[in-house]
Amino acid sequence: MTAIKLYWVDFVPGWEYLSPPRSLNAQEITSFAREYDPQAYHTDEEAAKATPFGGLIASGWQTCGVAMRLMCDGYLLETSCIGSPGLDELRWFKPVRPGDALRLRSTVLEQAPSQKDAARGTVKFRWDVLNQKDEVVCRMVGRQHYRRRSPAQ
Amino acid sequence: MSGQAKPHKKYYFEDFVPGDVWEAEGPLVTKEEIIDFASRFDPQYFHVDEAAAKGSTYGGLIASGWHTVSLCMRMMCDRYLLEVESLGSPGVDHVRWLQPVRPGDRLRMKMTVLEAKISRTKPDRGSILHRWEVYNQRGELVMTMDGYGIVGRRPHAAPP
Repeated sequence: MTAIKLYWVDFVPGWEYLSPPRSLNAQEITSFAREYDPQAYHTDEEAAKATPFGGLIASGWQTCGVAMRLMCDGYLLETSCIGSPGLDELRWFKPVRPGDALRLRSTVLEQAPSQKDAARGTVKFRWDVLNQKDEVVCRMVGRQHYRRRSPAQ
Repeated sequence: MSGQAKPHKKYYFEDFVPGDVWEAEGPLVTKEEIIDFASRFDPQYFHVDEAAAKGSTYGGLIASGWHTVSLCMRMMCDRYLLEVESLGSPGVDHVRWLQPVRPGDRLRMKMTVLEAKISRTKPDRGSILHRWEVYNQRGELVMTMDGYGIVGRRPHAAPP
């Protein structure tokens, strides 16, 4: 385990993080989809051309996975995060295609101490996934639980 | 492609009626798969490091919530989605990870159709809202989610 740099107290409303870009190639898209989401527009480059998407697109769940990985690599592994109870909403606005450069933007919306446990608190985030054209391709609003640096903070 | 007939699917918008329930069984969730998925997408220690996970609030290795969702997506594909005239999904609401998924768990899904609405702007399709309830082998509810799917309506030529 790495040293913890950020605790619950550090995620004040307005806190923002923007990740470096990461892209998925066609092989990564089809290989994820064959395992978890084998719809033709995710697994078959040729068949995908005849679909409303006009070509291969990533499973929306893989886009979420990339967002999660960008979060982990960007800051999450150096925080006191102890998990997530869930998401209020998740929207896929635009298809993600091979080579798209995806970035994650995390923004803190709310910060609340736990009612039950003085040693932890909850943070509500908006997580946007942006492509190279600065389009928001995916948006999530959800919560994570964090341990507090000390019950007073 | 114009002039080329699209192959008929088994299920169209009309086949999803509010109240309908679809059930699906998933595979055994293995430790190797939990670690492999999390190493790629969610390398928090309680998803990738068995020894360190013992000291976590979960008391052992647990699957990434994204892994659970992805396993459910596969169950849904195998149960019916690959035979549906599916045009994608705009998103999901109210994802709740209620119980950890651990190595050796076997998941089961219940999908209930909540709403089916024909599109106002594109009358050849409709939107289906369905609730996913995911249970483990002990019957505990581990995850719930409300998902939207866009589904094509049955063309006149397609057999019902």
